Amino acid sequence: MINDMFQFYQTLKKEGIMFCFSGPTSQSVVEGLGDALKQKMEMECMTRTASRHIFSIFVEQMQNVVHYSAEKASGDQQTEEELRDGIVVVGKLEKDEFYILSGNYIHKEDTHRLITLLDKLKKMDKNELKIFYKEERRRERREGGKGGGLGMIETARKASRPLEYKLTGSNDEQHDFISIKAVI
Amino acid sequence: MDTLNIEASKSSPLVKYEVESNTLEITGECYPENAVKFFTPIFQWLEGEVKSLDTLPLTINLNISYFNSSTSKALMNFFDILEEAHDKGKKIVVNWIYMEENETAEECGEEFQEDLENLPFNLVIIDSEQGI
Repeated sequence: MINDMFQFYQTLKKEGIMFCFSGPTSQSVVEGLGDALKQKMEMECMTRTASRHIFSIFVEQMQNVVHYSAEKASGDQQTEEELRDGIVVVGKLEKDEFYILSGNYIHKEDTHRLITLLDKLKKMDKNELKIFYKEERRRERREGGKGGGLGMIETARKASRPLEYKLTGSNDEQHDFISIKAVI
Repeated sequence: MDTLNIEASKSSPLVKYEVESNTLEITGECYPENAVKFFTPIFQWLEGEVKSLDTLPLTINLNISYFNSSTSKALMNFFDILEEAHDKGKKIVVNWIYMEENETAEECGEEFQEDLENLPFNLVIIDSEQGI
């Protein structure tokens, strides 16, 4: 347990973290935090384009957790919304550079597909990403895919550098933990 | 003609059809949890609309300042249906409206335009002052 909140808070500040959320996520959490993030970005005097790109990545990554995180929040209470766990951090790197880190558990059977996609996106330049996005937009629509892929391509398009990811195996044999870093 | 009126929410736009001018307006941000569900009544309305033989052209004014990836798919689907109706002879005009300083919305409009062949699809800039 964290006993010293001040130290925790200072660590976040020192690391340039503007915003941090960990816990059960739903659409209403995305909307509420999205508002807070918008206000925070306004205070930081970011350019409108940078703010829009960060907001867009934030929504895609949070909705990704809402739809695909393998960790469902437990509890006896039946709520209307199904809550899934994840973590998201927005921080400042250098003067005009920001990053969004997001993480959640995924089912091992989905790991290969996701990693293949992320590796593919890493090698693409902006124009290739645009073409791929448009292809997937029509393909997923035709084939009725769940659409998780398009959100990841959108994240790669809005980032100013290739996306980085880290996969950490978990103790149980069914899940991996994936974290994705986007720099804007 | 069927009416269509959906109030805006934090993550979904105002949707309003005006019979007199035969105009559909969609205004606001769009990142609902389930874009397919949000667009279902719009597609149902569109199904009836494309069959009717109006003398006035159908005008679609879209002023969507931000949308998520699943909305992007729904919009592409929406434009494909409009294009098909247009190719069969229905008069349709789509206006993609965006604020001057919103480069992202401009690019999104251009990308839809590039993916459509015959559907009249105009990019319309408005001053920031004019608001939405």
